[in-house]
Amino acid sequence: MTAAVEVSGLRVASAARVLVRPCSLELRAGEILVVLGETGSGKSLLAQAIMGTLPPELACAGRIVLGGEEVGHLPPAARRRLWGRRIALLPQEPWSALNPTMAAGGQVAEVHALLHGRPWAEARRRAASALAALGLGRAVGRHPFRLSGGMAQRVAIAATAATGAPVLLADEPTKGLDAGLRDEVAALLAAEAAGGAAVMVITHDVGLARRLGGRVAVMLDGEVVETGPAGEVIAAPRHAYTRLLLAADPETWAPAGAPAGARAAGATVLSARGLAKALGGRTLFSGLDLEVGAGGIVAVAGPSGCGKTTLGNVLLGLLAPDAGTVSRRPGTAAHRYQKIYQDPVAAFAPQATLRAALGDVVARHGLSWDAAARLLSAMRVPDGLLDRRPAQVSGGELQRVALARALLVDPVFLFADEATSRLDPLTQKQVMDLLNETVAERRLAVLMVTHDPALARGMASRTVRLEMPSPRDALYFGPGPGDSG
Amino acid sequence: MTAIPETSAAGAVPAPGSARGRRALGAGLLLAVGLLALAGPWLIDADPLRQDLRAALRGPGGGHPLGTDHLGRDMLARLAHAARLSLGLGAATVLTAAVPGVLLGLAAAWRGGAVDRALGALCASVMALPGLLLVLVLAGFAPGAFWPLYVGLALASWVEYFRVVRAVAASRLARPDVEAARLLGFGPAHVVRRHLLPDLVGPLATLMAFGLAATVVAVSSLSFVGIGLRPPTPEWGNMMTELLPYHAEAPLQLLMPGTLLFATVLGLALVCGREPS
Amino acid sequence: MGGLTRALGGRLVQAALVALLVGIACFAMVEFLPGDQAYRIAAGRYGEDLVSTAAADAVRLELGLDRPWWERLGAWLAALARLDLGVSLVTGERVAHEIGHQLGHTLLLSLAALALSVLLGPPLGVLAAARAGTAWDLAGMSAAAALRALPAFAVGVALTWIFAVRLGLLPAAGAEGPAAAVLPALTLALGLAAASSRVTRDVALSVMRSPWVAFARTKGLGEAAVVRRHALRNAAAPVTAYLGIQLAWLVEGVVVVESVFVWPGIGHALVHAVVARDVPMIQGTALVLGLLFVLLNALVDLLCILIDPRAGERRR
Repeated sequence: MTAAVEVSGLRVASAARVLVRPCSLELRAGEILVVLGETGSGKSLLAQAIMGTLPPELACAGRIVLGGEEVGHLPPAARRRLWGRRIALLPQEPWSALNPTMAAGGQVAEVHALLHGRPWAEARRRAASALAALGLGRAVGRHPFRLSGGMAQRVAIAATAATGAPVLLADEPTKGLDAGLRDEVAALLAAEAAGGAAVMVITHDVGLARRLGGRVAVMLDGEVVETGPAGEVIAAPRHAYTRLLLAADPETWAPAGAPAGARAAGATVLSARGLAKALGGRTLFSGLDLEVGAGGIVAVAGPSGCGKTTLGNVLLGLLAPDAGTVSRRPGTAAHRYQKIYQDPVAAFAPQATLRAALGDVVARHGLSWDAAARLLSAMRVPDGLLDRRPAQVSGGELQRVALARALLVDPVFLFADEATSRLDPLTQKQVMDLLNETVAERRLAVLMVTHDPALARGMASRTVRLEMPSPRDALYFGPGPGDSG
Repeated sequence: MTAIPETSAAGAVPAPGSARGRRALGAGLLLAVGLLALAGPWLIDADPLRQDLRAALRGPGGGHPLGTDHLGRDMLARLAHAARLSLGLGAATVLTAAVPGVLLGLAAAWRGGAVDRALGALCASVMALPGLLLVLVLAGFAPGAFWPLYVGLALASWVEYFRVVRAVAASRLARPDVEAARLLGFGPAHVVRRHLLPDLVGPLATLMAFGLAATVVAVSSLSFVGIGLRPPTPEWGNMMTELLPYHAEAPLQLLMPGTLLFATVLGLALVCGREPS
Repeated sequence: MGGLTRALGGRLVQAALVALLVGIACFAMVEFLPGDQAYRIAAGRYGEDLVSTAAADAVRLELGLDRPWWERLGAWLAALARLDLGVSLVTGERVAHEIGHQLGHTLLLSLAALALSVLLGPPLGVLAAARAGTAWDLAGMSAAAALRALPAFAVGVALTWIFAVRLGLLPAAGAEGPAAAVLPALTLALGLAAASSRVTRDVALSVMRSPWVAFARTKGLGEAAVVRRHALRNAAAPVTAYLGIQLAWLVEGVVVVESVFVWPGIGHALVHAVVARDVPMIQGTALVLGLLFVLLNALVDLLCILIDPRAGERRR
C-alpha cells in the first residue's frame, strides 16, 4: 500500500534563513501523525508546504507525494485543485475561519454541492445529519456569531470531513480551547483516522499528542529531532528536547497536594463566605466558601465561560459579589492584593517601556530601583529587555516582568488568571516554577485560575471546580474562544 | 463638513504608494499654504481691498505678482488674507470643538452610567442633522456674519471628538493594564497620563486635521453660495463666486483660490494618511 | 426581528429630534430678528406702505405675541407637530406647497447621485483591489484622494467649465429636461464615489485575505464560488454601512450643488431662505432635508441588516 503522504527532503527557507531543514515524513491511510513543537519551530510551515499554502516569499524544495503523485513542483493553480479532493485542512481558530454571514449548515452543505456536485437539497440534508451527529442539530441555521468556540470547531470539522479527502491536515486544532473541548476534538480527529483518512496534526500540546496516539514527530528550530510511535516517544524520549517538552506537560507533574505538610498553608490571608455572583442573567456560582492561606496555592478550574475569572475578580474586590463576604487579613494595604493576567502584553501600558512601567511602581511606593533590579534578576529578566515596549517582548519574558512588577509591592495575595494559557509548554513550565519558588520563599497566598485540570493538580494543593452554569450549547453571545470566563 | 471615515473595521490594509512620500507631499502643501497665511499678509504690502478699475483682470506681472481681479484688487494679497481667514477660523473652530469634546468624552467613559447616557443623548441630538444643515440654520440668524459659521461649525463638530474619545477611552479603561495600574495603587491622574493619553494622541491629531479641512471646505462652500463670508472680505469661496463671470478673460485668477483650497485639504488628508474611523 | 425594530425605532427618535432641533432654532430666530415682530408680520400681510401701529397690535393679539416666550415656543412646536409649516415671508405662498414643488427635484438629484456613485465607486474599488500594489492601484487611489480634496462646488464649477462652456454638451444650470440633471448629479456622485472606491478597495482586500476565504479555498471551492458565497456579502456589509456615513455628506452636498447649478430643489430654496431670512421657509426646508437624511439612513439600516445578520444583533 502506498503512503497517503510522503515527504522527503522538504526544506522551507526565506531569503534570510532556512526555516524548515530538510526532513522526511510518511503517513498512511488510517494513520495519525502528530507534529509536536513550539511556536517558531517551523511545524506550521511544514503543514503549509504540504498543503501548498506557503506565502510566496518563502521558497520550498524537496519531494511532496500525495497518494502516489508528486505534487511539490506543481504550480499554485494545480496545487489548489488538490484541495478538498486529495487533501483538506482544518484551520486554526475555527471561530474566525467560518464565514460570519453564512449559517453553519450552508458552510458544510456547500462542500457537498460545489465540490461533489450533489443537488443542493441532498447537500443540505447530508450537512444537517453530519452536524446532528456531532450534537449540533440545532445549530444548522445559526450564524457563527451565535456559536461557542467548541461548536464552531465542530462545524469546521464537519465541513472539512465533508470533503472526504484522503488526507486531513489539522493546524493547531485545539488552540484556545479548554481541556474538555480538547479531548472532544482529539476524539473527532481519531474518528476521522478510524474512517480511513490519513490525519496529520500540528500542535504544541503534548496532551493532545497523548490522546491522539499514532506517531509523533518532534520539531525544534526547523528540524525534526525525533520520530516514533506516540507511546514510545512519550514513555522513553530519546532526544533531550523531547524530554524537556514532556517534563513541561503538567500531566506528568507530581500532584502538588501529595507531599502533605511540605506546602501546608499558613495563616489565612483571604477568605470568602457564601459568595454568589450572576452575570448576564446566569448564576455563575453561589454559596461558595473559599480560603487561601499564606504559602498556599488554590486553583479554580473549569471550562471556558464558567465564571473562574469572575470569581477571582470578586475575591480581589474588582467586582462586588451578589451575596456573601470576602475578608482580607486585617492590616494589609489594598495594593498587597495583586493579579497576573492571561495576556501579559495587555497588562502593560502599550506605549511605555518596561523600565518606565516598573519605574512608575518604584516611584509610587517610594521604593528603590535596586529592589526592582533584584526581583528582575530573580525572575531571570535581562536588563536589556527593559528598554523595549511590551509588544516587543516575548510572552514568557513579559509574564516574568509582570510577576516582578507584582512582587515589587510586596503582595500577600496573588491572583494568577490563566497566567500561562497563552505560553508555549516550556515557557509555561518556567513561569510556573518561578511562581512555586516565590510562593515558598515569600509565603504568598495564590489563587490560580486555569482551564487545564492537569495544571491545577500539578500546582495547587486544593482545586475548586466550577461547572458550566447552563448547557454547553446554549445560545452563545459571548466573545470568542480564548477568553477565559 | 462631516469628516467621513474611510477606514473599515475589517483591518489595516496598506494603501498603495509609499507612506513617507505621501506625508512629505502633504507637509509640503501645508507648509506652502501655512506660510502664505502667516507671513503673506505681513510681507505683501498691497491692500486686499483697494480697488483700481483701470487695472482690472491684469495677468500676473508688474506690481501684481499674481495679477488682479475684476475690481483691480491685488490677487496675491487677497489670497493671503483669505488663507489667514480660512485657517484661522478653522483652527479656532477645531480648538473650540475639541476641548469640550475631549473633556466630555473622557467624562462619559470614566463615569459611565447616567452621565454617559445623558451625554450620549446630547450627542445623538446634535448628530440628528447633518452638520452643514445645522450651520445653515444658524446662519439664518445673521447671514454673512462671522459668528454663525464659527458657532455652528464648532457646535456640529464637538460630537466627533466626543464620540472618538469616549470610544477609545472606554475600550482603554476596560483593558487589563488599567486594572493592573489601579491594583498597584495608581490614581486617575496616572491612568490618564500613562494609559489613556498615548492612545488618544493619534486619533485626536487625525480628527483635528480632518476637522480643519472640513471647516475650510464648509466656510468656502457657504461663502460660494452667498451665505458665509461676503465680499469684499477676501475668502476663497466668495472670490470664486466673484470671478466666475470672468472665467473666459481671467481663468487663472478663477483657478487660484480653488487651487489653494485643494492644496490645503489634500495636504491635511495626506499628512494624516487615513481618515478617522 | 428585534434588531430591525430597534433600528427603525432609533430612526423615529432621530426624526423627532430633527423636528425639535429645527423648530427651536427657527423659533429663536424669529425672536432674535431685529425690529418688532408684529410690525414685520403686519407689513408682510398688508404691504410696507399700509402698515400701521394699530394693524401691528391686531396681529400681536391675534398671534398671541404678547404671551410669554415658553407659551409661544409651545404653540410653535405644536404647529410643527401638526405639520403646519406656515407661510413664506417672501412669496406669501404656503411653505408646504412650495416644498411640494421642490421635493421631487431634490429626490431626483440625490437618488441619481447615489445610484451613480454606487455604479462608479465600488466597481472601481474592486478593480483597484484586484490590482493592489500596482501602478493602477496607485493611480486610482490618488485620483480618489484628489477628488475627495475638492469641495463639491469646485467640482461643479470644473464640470460646468468642461462640459457646458468648452464642449457645450450639457446645460450649465436650471432643470430643463433630463440633460440638466447630469452635471449636478455627477458632481455629487464623483465625491461620493471617490470615497466609497477607497473603502471598497480596502474592504475587498481584507475580505479576500480573511481566514474564512482561505478556509473556503482549502475546502476545494473554485474561486468564483469563493467570491460569490464568501466574499461578496462580507464585503458588501461594511461598504453599505459606509454608505450610511456618506449620507450626511450627500445632504450637505445637495444644498451646495443645487445652489451652484440653480437646481430648483429644497437645498437651493434653503439657501435663498437663509439669505432672505425667510424663517418659515428655513424651517420647512431644513426640516424636510433633515427628514430626508433620516429616511435614507433608515433605508441603509434596513439594507445592512438584510446583508449581515450580525448588524441586527450588534445594535443597541
